[in-house]
This record gives sequence, C-alpha cells and structure tokens, in this order.
Amino acid sequence: MNRRFFVFISLLSMIFCFSLNAMAEEGMTDTEIHVGQWGPQTGPAAAWGSVPRGTDDYFKMINAQGGIHGRKIIHHMFDDAYNPAKTKAGVKELQEGTGIFAWVSGVGTAPGLAVKDYIMDRKVPWIGPASGSLHWITPPEKYLFTVYPLYYLEAKALCKYSIETLGKKRIAIAYQNDDYGKNGLKGAREELARHGLKLVAEIPVELKDTDMKPHVMKMRKSKADAVLLWTSVSHAVRLAGTSAAMRFKPQFMTTSTCSDFPFMYHISKGLWKGVIAATFAEVPGSEKPLFKQYKKEVFEKYANKGERWGLFYYAGIFLAEPFVEALKRAGRDLTRERLVKELEGLKDFQGISGKVSYKPFDPKDPTCRLGVKEIFLVQCLDGGKTKKLTDWMEIK
Amino acid sequence: MDMKRDYYEDVQLFSSGVAIFWFVALMIFLGAFPFMVKNYYVYMANYIAINVIVAVGLNILVGYTGQISLGHAGFFAIGAYGTIILISQFHFPFLLALPAAGVIAAFFGFILGLPALRLDGPYLSIATLGFGLSITQVIGKIELFGGRQGLHAPELMIGSWTLDTDREFYYILMVIVILLTLGARNLMKTRVGRAFIAIRDADIAAETIGINLLWHKTMAFAVSAFYAGVAGGLYAFVLRFVEPEVFTLLLSILFLSMIVVGGLGSIFGAIAGACLLSWLDLTLRNILDVPLVGDWLKILSKSWFSITGVSNIQFILFGLIIVLIMLFEPRGIFGIWIRTKKYWKTWPF
Amino acid sequence: MIDFFQMVVSGIAVGSSYALMGLAMVIIYKTSEVVNFAQGEMALLSSFFAFMIMEHHHIPFYAAIPATLVFSLFLGFFLEFAVLRRAKDPSVLGMIIITIGLEMILMGFVSWKFGADYKALPFPISPYESVAMGGVYASALEVLTFGVALSLMLILFLFFRFSKLGVAMKATQQNPVAARLMGIRTNRIVMMTWGVSSVTGCFAGLSISAALMHPYMMWDPMLKGFAAAVMGGMTSLPGAVFAAYLLGIIENLFGGYISIEFKSVVAFVIIVLVLCFKPSGLFARHYVKKV
Repeated sequence: MNRRFFVFISLLSMIFCFSLNAMAEEGMTDTEIHVGQWGPQTGPAAAWGSVPRGTDDYFKMINAQGGIHGRKIIHHMFDDAYNPAKTKAGVKELQEGTGIFAWVSGVGTAPGLAVKDYIMDRKVPWIGPASGSLHWITPPEKYLFTVYPLYYLEAKALCKYSIETLGKKRIAIAYQNDDYGKNGLKGAREELARHGLKLVAEIPVELKDTDMKPHVMKMRKSKADAVLLWTSVSHAVRLAGTSAAMRFKPQFMTTSTCSDFPFMYHISKGLWKGVIAATFAEVPGSEKPLFKQYKKEVFEKYANKGERWGLFYYAGIFLAEPFVEALKRAGRDLTRERLVKELEGLKDFQGISGKVSYKPFDPKDPTCRLGVKEIFLVQCLDGGKTKKLTDWMEIK
Repeated sequence: MDMKRDYYEDVQLFSSGVAIFWFVALMIFLGAFPFMVKNYYVYMANYIAINVIVAVGLNILVGYTGQISLGHAGFFAIGAYGTIILISQFHFPFLLALPAAGVIAAFFGFILGLPALRLDGPYLSIATLGFGLSITQVIGKIELFGGRQGLHAPELMIGSWTLDTDREFYYILMVIVILLTLGARNLMKTRVGRAFIAIRDADIAAETIGINLLWHKTMAFAVSAFYAGVAGGLYAFVLRFVEPEVFTLLLSILFLSMIVVGGLGSIFGAIAGACLLSWLDLTLRNILDVPLVGDWLKILSKSWFSITGVSNIQFILFGLIIVLIMLFEPRGIFGIWIRTKKYWKTWPF
Repeated sequence: MIDFFQMVVSGIAVGSSYALMGLAMVIIYKTSEVVNFAQGEMALLSSFFAFMIMEHHHIPFYAAIPATLVFSLFLGFFLEFAVLRRAKDPSVLGMIIITIGLEMILMGFVSWKFGADYKALPFPISPYESVAMGGVYASALEVLTFGVALSLMLILFLFFRFSKLGVAMKATQQNPVAARLMGIRTNRIVMMTWGVSSVTGCFAGLSISAALMHPYMMWDPMLKGFAAAVMGGMTSLPGAVFAAYLLGIIENLFGGYISIEFKSVVAFVIIVLVLCFKPSGLFARHYVKKV
C-alpha cells in the first residue's frame, strides 16, 4: 500500500514536472530570447536591407549591456530578396526549427502578408512590420503591433500642410503602382476631399519604369504646383531630375522613404534642395541625446564597413524599441502573453521615433494596434541639411 | 537507350519490371517522407513539387515540340488567380477549381500558340515574354483580382475536410504531381506526342507527312499552359497570398533554366532540373551558415567587397552551377545520368 | 501640338539607350546566333568599374571613360574565351541558358562588391540640365547619348560592310566551316565580336549611370533593347536602331495620350503584331528554312 502510494506520487510529480517544461515558452530559455526578422539583402529592394542590419546591431548593443533581465537576444535574420515565397520558407524554417519567441520588423508589405496568417495562427507576437500599409490593422490582430506610421497618414499630413500652410491648390501625385503607392493615393484623396479639392493628376509609376518623361509630361500638363512623390528612391530622383530637365518646378513632397536628405542630396546631385518630406524619426543630423547615443554605441561600434547611418538603418532600431521596452517591463518571468500585455500598456513611449501607444485589444478598433500616429515634416536645404518645418503632429 | 523491339514495347508506360520496382519504391519513399523529416522540409518539398509540375509541362513545349517560352510565369499567374477567384467568388470546390483554372490557362496558351506558328527562336521568345509581362500588368489593373494589393487565398477545403497543414497538402500535391507526370509520359507515347517530337525535329517535313502544324503547335502551348496553370493554383495555396509582383520575368527564366539544366526532351531531366534549381533557390541563402565556407566568404567580403552585399553570393553560386552544368554536359542532368549509366554498363571495357 | 513633339523627342531620347543595347545584342547574334542575356550585366559591370575608379581612385573623368571602354572590351573577350567557347556542342537554348547563368554571376558580383545602395556617377554633363528647342526640352545628356548612338551605329555599319574584320565576321556567321577554309580564325573573330558588343553596351550603361546607379538598372534597357532588336530583325544593325527609336516613341506617345500604366505592355503588343506580319523583323531578310 505504501509502495503503491509512493509510486503514484512520484509518477504524478514527474508528470507535473514534464508539463512544467512544456509550459516554458517557445523560442525562449533561461538565458536566451530568439527573435526573427526577414529583409531583402539581395534583389531589387536590397537598399532596404539595412533595416535588419540596424536591428541586429541594436541587439548587439543590448546584449553587450547585459541583455534583458539576464537573457540575451539571439537575432535570426535572413534574406528573402523581397520574394514572399522565400519569406514564408524562411519564417517556417526558423519558427519550426529554431523556435522563435517573437518577430520584429520585417521589410515589405507583400512578404509580410504572406506570413502574417501563419504567425498569427501560432500566436507569436510580431512587433513593428517595416511597412506602413493599412493591411496590418485592418483587421487588427491581437499579436501584431505596428510601429511604422501609416503611409495613408503621411499623405494626409503632407496634403494638409501644402494646402493650409503653403497655400497650394493644384496637387498631383505620382504613386508607385502597388500597396505602398495606393495607400498614399487614398490618403491624399481623402485629405483633399476634406478641403473640397481633387487631385489634378494621379500618375502611376511602374516599378520597372526607368524613363519618367511620360509621367513628368502628365504632371506638367496638369499644371500642378505641388507634387507628391510616392515612389521609391530611384524613381523619385528620376522624376525630380526629369522635371528639372523639362523646366517644370513644382513643390515636391515625398514620404519618409526619401527623407534621408544627405543621401538624397548626394545622389540627386543637388536637385533635392527644397523638397519637403514627411518623417517619423529623428533626422540624421539630430542632436537628441538618445539618437547620438545610438549612433555612437550601435553604429560606430558594430556596423559593417560600408554601412551608412541612414533612415533605413536606424529604422531597424526604432522598430525594435517598443519590443525591447516591453521586454524590460515584463521582467524576468517572461511569456508571450505578458509581452503582449506590456505592449498594450505602452503609452507615449518615445525612443527615436514618434510616441508609441497601444490600447487593449478590440477587434473593432484598428487603432488599438497602431503604435505611432504622429509624424513631422522637414525640408531639404543646401548641402543636404535638414530644416524642421513642423513639430510632431498627430494625424487623425 | 535500350532498343525497342516492337511497337508495344515502345508504348508501354514502364519499360521493364525493374522500372516498376523503382517506381513503387519511390512511391513508398514519398509517402513516408513527411514523417521522417521536420515540417519545414515538407514545405520545401511542396515548393519543389510545384516547380516540378511546371517543368514537366514546359518540357512538353520546349523539349518535345521545340518551341520556346519566356512567358510561363503568366500562365502560372492565371492558374493562381483563377483558382482563388473560382473558389472565393464562384464557390467552386477546390478539386474542380484547380483543373478549371488550368483549362483557362490552356485557353490563353492556345492563343499564345497562334503567333508561334510563324515565329521562331528569339522572335518567339519576345512574343512569349511580352505575353508574360502583359498578364501581370492586366491582373494588377483589375480590382476584382485585388489589384496591386494582392489576394489572400481562402481556406483549402476538399469536401468537408479543411487542409491547413503542410503535411496534408503534401499528399494532395504528390497525387497530382504523379498523375500529371504519368500523364505527360503517356502523352509522349501517343500519336500526339510523336507529332510534337516530329515538329521539333523537322517541322516542314512533319507537315508533309500529314501532321497538322496549327493544331499541334497550339496544342503544345495549351498543354504546357495547363500544367503551369494547375501548378499556379497549387502555389496560391502553398503561399496563401498572391500579388502580381510574384510572377516576374525572373520566374519565367527560372522555369526555362530548370528544364534546360535538367535536360531538354526528357521528363526525368525536367524533374531533376526542377528539384535541383528550386532546392538551390530556397537553401542557398544559408550558404553563409555553412561552417568553413561561410566564414571564409565573410572574411573575403570584409577585405575586398562590401559586407552588406554578401548575401549576393547566392546569385553567383546559382549562376555558376547553371553555367558549369551546361558547359560540361550540354544535355543537362539527364545527360550526366545517361553517361553514368553507359559508363557502368560497359565497365570494365 | 507641342506636347506631341515633346513626346517624340522624349521617345528618341529614351530610344538611344535601347538602341545601344539592341546594337550590342545584334552584333553577337549576327556572328554566333546566341541571344546574349548577359548583355545588360556586362554593361553594368563596366559602369560600376567606371564608378569605382572615379570615386575610389580619383581618376578624372576624361581618363576614366577610355579606361572603362578598354575594360569592357577585355571583359567581352574574357567571357567569350573562358565561358562560351568551352561549351561542348551546345544547342541554341543551351547557350542562352549559359548567358543567363553568366548574367546571374555578374549581377551577384556587382551587388556583392558595391552593395545595394543607390549611387551616382560623377559626370561633367548633368542629366538634369536641358537644351530647349522651341518649347521642347531634351536634357543635355540625352542629346549626347543620341549622338553617340547614331555615330556608333554608323561606325559599326561601315565596319561590318567595308572593313576586313567586319566582312570576316559576317562570313563566320553565314558559314563557319567555309570561313575557316578561307583562312579566317573564327575563334578569334567571335571573341572580338563579343568585345565590340561589350563596348557598345558599355556606352548604354554609362549613359544610364549618369543619372542613378544600382545593380538592377540594366534590366529594363536590356529587355527593351532585345525587343527592339527582334522587331528590327536580329541580323540587321540599322534595323535594331530604327526599331529602338520607334519603340521609344510609341511608348511615350501611348503613355502620354492613353495610359501610362500599360505603355510597356503596348510596346510588346505592337512588336508581336509587327512580327505577325514580318516574322523576321522589319529589316531582316526573311530567313528561309532549308528542308
């Protein structure tokens, strides 16, 4: 009788111990947190490859400072060449092979959308997709937290400024013919409608187009006095250049993608002077202490030779900042649910981007997972210097 | 390779008892495969299987009929979008939507085959290339297809089963691949298949012996488009999300490379080429993690090249493998296989 | 009306780079019946070479350009010698796949060495200053490219028609065995063809680099150049150039009057239509297959 009871108790405790182990979170051990990210290191979008590299170097700094509550962040980044098939392959390999605690950043709307359902079905948190598409919050997902402001909001802000402050009446938009551009188009249309205006020209730009003359001719024909450039860097430079060659000089306004003024000024051979851009992070020459600290301790210490301290690079940092902050707040006893709770509790947390706030999950409220709602505008001066035109503005 | 002694031997599907044995062994291996490896490899197998279907279809057109197509990504896209639309908008069951999308792709293949009657070589490649590019443009314009923002694939349901794991999908995929491959092999042994081969070898002579060029050339396009369409439909479910930028010219070029590297004019070659190239496509990005080679590459990068672009080595390796195979064995992997077989057959003479 | 002229002028301007790429492809096709898919990346490598010596070694522009041209010449020689010639008994499709493989290698190499960030080539002629002709504008660089394209076409045309080397190249294409019997060293001729073609492509690459450089910049010009060469007839040099300009003009007119989104599509549709009526292109003699 005693023996049987003893065996029974030991069996029960063994089962209890095993189940305790099973309750330990995937992707996490006592000393490590596994975080995954994809980014285009090759392919036509490879210029955005500096985003994951920025996050990587940021985590290196965190680990050098002792990690978070004794755990080091193991950052797994892979190259998906902006090809959703490869993104999915890589995400599956890491999630099912190594086990990933959370996903951070991740460049591209299409690659992200290919893996969104997979990651959400597994209830793995994903913080800060590197794209401002409305897809992330319509519908809002419990485990998906955005940090990058919506392209839609950037468009609204730019239009508002050009109408109210600059007094422009004829606004045109050259938009890249994909999700990014269409979001911008939507925002512009809505904001102009609020002021009783319409876009005088809506000019689609194909990714493969290299010759911008038909586009500029359309712009010129519409007699626009402000043109929103909702394209990639190369197209934006070409559009500005072709316009200059055709002696057409509207006020150019661009998104954050083209807001890296020192860089843009250099590759556009000075054409970028006077361009107004929306941006959601400190400008490259900012004096803010945290910004300078990152430059010194992340970039100068860990960045590879040939890396540039540009917007894409430090985007990798600020897209991960809320994640790191929530990890710190969750304490030593870390689970995914606690991480989600801490993220929801973030209110006006500010790193080197705008203030980040979330709300408890409500499937009917897209803004509960929309982290940053504010941006500010800057203008390019001679030599690539930046002039702040507005302060942080919150856009509805 | 082995001489056929009578007509019936030529037409039979399996050339000998040994071939049947290997075929059965392969079936058993494929069946047990998902249980032997981690789930990620099942996903990889699914991806490879889809490329195999396209390769087998493209091989019918390029290898057996001697045409060329740089636009197969277009048929692939038609299949993918067609399947999704038929299931979500028209409520077709999956098993009906897939072949239906294939038929729609075949119809476009037929249309593309019409200019092929007068064109050859680079002229035909431009025509097909233009077709491939136009399809993605047109799809991107139509809002019903999600426009530039792409479409999400609906839940995959067969009857009342919902298939949502890679493993379940793997079995469906394997059945389809085997059926289509056997179908292609069978096709080549029929009158139509022989007509295709005749057209490749000497199309004017073929016409003189009574083969209707119009019918057969367009048929070849249609059949290979059907394969690509079915593969596209399956791809939509593997990826769960499609958008026009996925179906690029690079994809068409990749398909073409698969069959040429594998061996033109042989189904085995098409399968081998597809397996090799799609596997490389998925795994080459991990080259930097390979112990010795990866570190050496990183050191090399730091001193002579930019470390930021180091992942591009996968392109270099991919291209290098293609070039080396083509240089040393113009008949591709199939040629290597035949050569090894011949060597061992006549060894030690 | 002025818009129409502007569009035509723009079409001519963009057609110049297509023309140069088309010329390069036709030259190789004329002698070895290979469609060289690596054409764009050969020009890419040469342009990045120019970038490298100008930015990192501070060689002035007027010395760097000839150096780059020489580099591209030897690049063409090297590729033919080391790679294409080693192919044993290749089929046409096999050669095309080899060039595709080469294209990947070159592209990977350039991306690896230079990174993916956008760059600008220092050029004395700005791509953004324009020349005005009436109400119509063309940038100074475009005028230069146009001039280069036309003169190159003229030089090449005369070269193939009248010079010994050019005639030898034509002979090699028509009948390699007979050419060898006549004492022409066909291997060397083909190697030189590749060199000349590479230099032609290099001009195209440089003119595009003057605006903005990144590893994927040559894809579109190469495709359009290929399409133009096909439309003009793969064996006709003036044909390729004419078709390239025609293509540029049609694209711009269509983009201006009807739809910008579909302008590339329409270009290809037009080419297919042309090919339906003239299967060997506009200017080539229809190749008759011998039974």
